[in-house]
Amino acid sequence: MRFVAIFEAVTKNWLRSRTGLFFSIMFPIMMLFIFGSIFGGTNYVPTMTAAFIMTNGIIGLTSTNTEFKRRGIIRRLSITPLTKADWIVGCVLSQTLLNLVLTGIMITIGWVAFSVRVIPDPLTILMIFLGSVMFSGIGMALSGSIKDVEAASAIGNVISYPMMFLSGVFVPLSIMPSTLQSISNFIPLTYFSDGLKAAIITKSTGTILFDMGIVAALAVAFIAIGVLLTRWKEK
Amino acid sequence: MLELEVQDLVKQYADVKAVDGISFSVNEGEVFAFLGPNGAGKTTTVEILECLRSLTKGSVFVCGYNISKDKDVEEVKKNIGVLPQDFNALDKLTVKENIELIADMYDKHLKVGDVIKLLNLEDKANAKFENLSGGLKQRVGIAAALVSDPKLVFLDEPTTGLDPRARRDVWDVLISLKKLGKTVFLTTHYMEEAQVLADRIAIMNKGKIVAIGSPQELIGKYGGLKILIIRKADKTLADKLEDKFENVTITPNGDVHIKIENTEELYRIMSFLTEMKAERDIEIQTPTLEDVFLKITGSKISEEGETK
Repeated sequence: MRFVAIFEAVTKNWLRSRTGLFFSIMFPIMMLFIFGSIFGGTNYVPTMTAAFIMTNGIIGLTSTNTEFKRRGIIRRLSITPLTKADWIVGCVLSQTLLNLVLTGIMITIGWVAFSVRVIPDPLTILMIFLGSVMFSGIGMALSGSIKDVEAASAIGNVISYPMMFLSGVFVPLSIMPSTLQSISNFIPLTYFSDGLKAAIITKSTGTILFDMGIVAALAVAFIAIGVLLTRWKEK
Repeated sequence: MLELEVQDLVKQYADVKAVDGISFSVNEGEVFAFLGPNGAGKTTTVEILECLRSLTKGSVFVCGYNISKDKDVEEVKKNIGVLPQDFNALDKLTVKENIELIADMYDKHLKVGDVIKLLNLEDKANAKFENLSGGLKQRVGIAAALVSDPKLVFLDEPTTGLDPRARRDVWDVLISLKKLGKTVFLTTHYMEEAQVLADRIAIMNKGKIVAIGSPQELIGKYGGLKILIIRKADKTLADKLEDKFENVTITPNGDVHIKIENTEELYRIMSFLTEMKAERDIEIQTPTLEDVFLKITGSKISEEGETK
């Protein structure tokens, strides 16, 4: 149960960090306001939430984690009986809690500012949970294999931004060329964003379950890859 | 009982041998120091012993467990406490929270409050780690190393970068560890630190252990002779001393240095000085580890740990 102690510690550490709070919560809120005001909020509440859960995992978690590594914090913990899996699970769950809070805030803003009335049901919460685990798993896998803080956040950006555009978060897929539309089938964010839209807006159970299945499978895969790629013993 | 047993340990990087076939052992309850300049291979060795780094060749037993076996590594981790070089903790957590985090990694551990008391950190228990001075951060690191009640404690350069006062504070803590019966493995480039704290010292240079023994043994063997210094001796006295005794040198500022082979010779010099009614400032200089290091390696270690 060491992951519980890790979960508590990294969550507290994050909650007390202002830059962390700004990028993970305030920035998504700002973006929702901007895009929602221009194009209307209905679709942007779920898609923006999905997109920022992705960046929180792939960019945010990757850079916090490489920073932990640079400062020797992971090293210090690795000398204790802590296992890699406990460490990764603790960090992923902490990020997931943060993302649930973020979703709550995004939904509230959707309600207040754009009259998108959504009451999150258990499927929505499960979807958020699985999506968070998937993207945090990618973040842990990246930071497990990259040493340098700058390189980690650069790679995080390189992965995230194309995904954001190619999965129809900012621009609807229907207006994109067909090649780009077919690429979007291979992007994890597409399934998460679609599934979340279905859970929050359209309530189509078939779509939700299909997307959820894919996201769940990817979540397990990325966590496993994270455990495999993370090296604690140095050469 | 031996807490540490190292045989022919080698660590080879692409074209450098960071550790070049060293062997030594550490007894239970002993404070053992690795003394040497930066780049001597101290940290590489200690990190291999802590199971943080792989070894190229040789055998290492820590608390009776073979670190080359994965199953044994788990046992090693339960039995050791570590203060790594450049210790850091989670910035936004308090001293207490950080020590609790490490404690929670073990099935059995001491009460966090007791460890905080032992390290004199009560006043700072609720201060955030990021707001602590260097000396206090090191003490948190030592607390974290002790909280699991380990048999063997590794301290990698525990006082590097600290001001003299903070250094003394850390020394006090280390002296109390010995009283608790802990076995301590220490690395340092400060001669004085090794001399004050260690029961036995291994002097390391360029990947090899060049000498090993208690501070007294090392000084006795390599430190050279004691020197009697007569400050500002006048010309007549200096000349007479030079005529009468061997190994006399006169420094440019008029001090006379006489190397003393044995106690008998010391008495002869003293009675001669009494006879001469030489009321002078007299001092006996005993060799230190610095002289030992100079004698063995032909160089000195600077405050920053570089050879010069």
